[in-house]
Amino acid sequence: MTRYIPVILIFMIAVLVGIIVGPAHPTGEIIQLRISRVILGIFAGGMLGFCGCILQGLFGNPLVEPYTLGSASGAALGGSIGILIFGAISPIFAFLGSLGVGFFVFTIARMRGGLFRDRLILAGVVMSFLCSSLVMIIMVIGGRELYEILYLLMGYLGIIINAANRLFIILLIAISLVLIIFLYRYYRELDIISQGLETAAGLGIDIQKLSLIIFFTTSLVIGLTVSIVGAIGFVGLVIPHISKLLFGPKHLYNLPASFILGATFLLFADAVSRTITVYELPVGVVTSLVGVPFFIYLYKK
Amino acid sequence: MNKSARRLRKICRGSAIFLVSVASIFCHCDTPSTEPGFRIVSLSPAMTEILFTLNARGSLVGVTTFCDYPEQTKEIYKVGDFSNPSMERIVGLKPDLVIVNLPEQMRIKKQLDKLQIKVFVSSPRSLDDIYREIAEIGGIVKKESVAESLISAMKMTIRPFGDDEKKRVYIELSPRPIVTIGAQTFLNELLEMAGGVNIFSDLKKDYPVVSQEEIIKRNPEIIILLHPDEIRDRLGWEDIDAVKNKKINRDINQDHLMRPGPRLVEGFKVLREIIND
Repeated sequence: MTRYIPVILIFMIAVLVGIIVGPAHPTGEIIQLRISRVILGIFAGGMLGFCGCILQGLFGNPLVEPYTLGSASGAALGGSIGILIFGAISPIFAFLGSLGVGFFVFTIARMRGGLFRDRLILAGVVMSFLCSSLVMIIMVIGGRELYEILYLLMGYLGIIINAANRLFIILLIAISLVLIIFLYRYYRELDIISQGLETAAGLGIDIQKLSLIIFFTTSLVIGLTVSIVGAIGFVGLVIPHISKLLFGPKHLYNLPASFILGATFLLFADAVSRTITVYELPVGVVTSLVGVPFFIYLYKK
Repeated sequence: MNKSARRLRKICRGSAIFLVSVASIFCHCDTPSTEPGFRIVSLSPAMTEILFTLNARGSLVGVTTFCDYPEQTKEIYKVGDFSNPSMERIVGLKPDLVIVNLPEQMRIKKQLDKLQIKVFVSSPRSLDDIYREIAEIGGIVKKESVAESLISAMKMTIRPFGDDEKKRVYIELSPRPIVTIGAQTFLNELLEMAGGVNIFSDLKKDYPVVSQEEIIKRNPEIIILLHPDEIRDRLGWEDIDAVKNKKINRDINQDHLMRPGPRLVEGFKVLREIIND
């Protein structure tokens, strides 16, 4: 438990940085704006970190993340279609995209026998590629909406919050929180699965059912996240590894740590993205830019 | 024997009808105009408007689906949309000149260069650029005097208004991400002539993505929205002068401000009204 203290301290610093650092002098309304941005950052970073961690645990594969399973790419595809049709991003489209692709992946994985869990990864990767090329086609057709799609693909925390979308965003965040608390309850099963599938099966864990539940619930969460802030990369892949380096393999500690670390990391990345230029950089660009050197440093240690 | 021959004929007739209908589906496009003389394909909506104003409609054999003004552009053969015109359609028109917009249509320009089709590049970043392009295209279609009078008519309306105190104006092209205009755009210049100053005129990029914080910090007195979104209830925007004093302008015809053509005059008048209000 004591190992959490420095992590939580750094998290607090990240929140403070998120509120204090920025181009404008922090007056009342600027602070209001930054707090909303910090909340979005915690939400997105936390969800991505958590989902990445739980997926890596379930699949026993260090390369799995929301993107390899197609849910993030599906959300990006849905969002792009929404932009193409309505000229503005509609969260519902991104969400439906994520669910739709999730369903496809699931169907493909089930088409032939064998271990369902491993087929999910393959089907997810394949669908991810399909989604990316479809998004490319939309970008080519769209022309004028290109910017908007690009920011959806890269992730963007500086969204305008107004009376129309405020409640909606709060609702989506609340739903996501409920969903990940639901997922957190499986930490014991995940620990056992990481010991090996035979052991898990021997202990009476229904791996097929568990994969299905975790796969669909994370697809939901990722769909919700991408629909608000866009498809932010890197966090879901690397944060779980950092969390494992710091907290060991137990999911009881690992999952909440991934949430906090993901949030912390995204807050720092966002602070960088809005201070290094007067322009607003997509935060997804910064996450890998800052994250890769940091990861290499930690890995060496 | 007779029976099978009849069946064969039936099949032939059936497939012929099928083929013709398939072909007619694929060829369902208005036939290209075959007027003699100088043939121009315009991929630039503004240039299309200019050519109409110069009475050079006869030379226009192809336009894009974005070329929607004046009304008569509907009758002209479409080669595709602004970002993805069909190369085949353009080449099929055997144009003497293709007008392209840079930087958006760089790819198309390169392809046309390879095919050695003559290209007219339109890429105005200032009002002078616009006037120069009108004069040049006027020379090409042999309407020099009409071009001259169009330019002087535009200059007559679009001239600097020397208000002592320039109002700070923020122009928003898109809300997500937030896109505005930078210094090197004709719209920036138009705004200054009308007696305003673009709050982002220090940015070098044409169409920069900016943050909400920067906008609040620069505190515009007038906001012009060139998209249908609402602005009043945005979180954190309440203390901006323009929001407090309700100086937010929507319902402006975007084409009057974004198309570097004859209708800029209308856009300029609207800007004058907004700034003097």
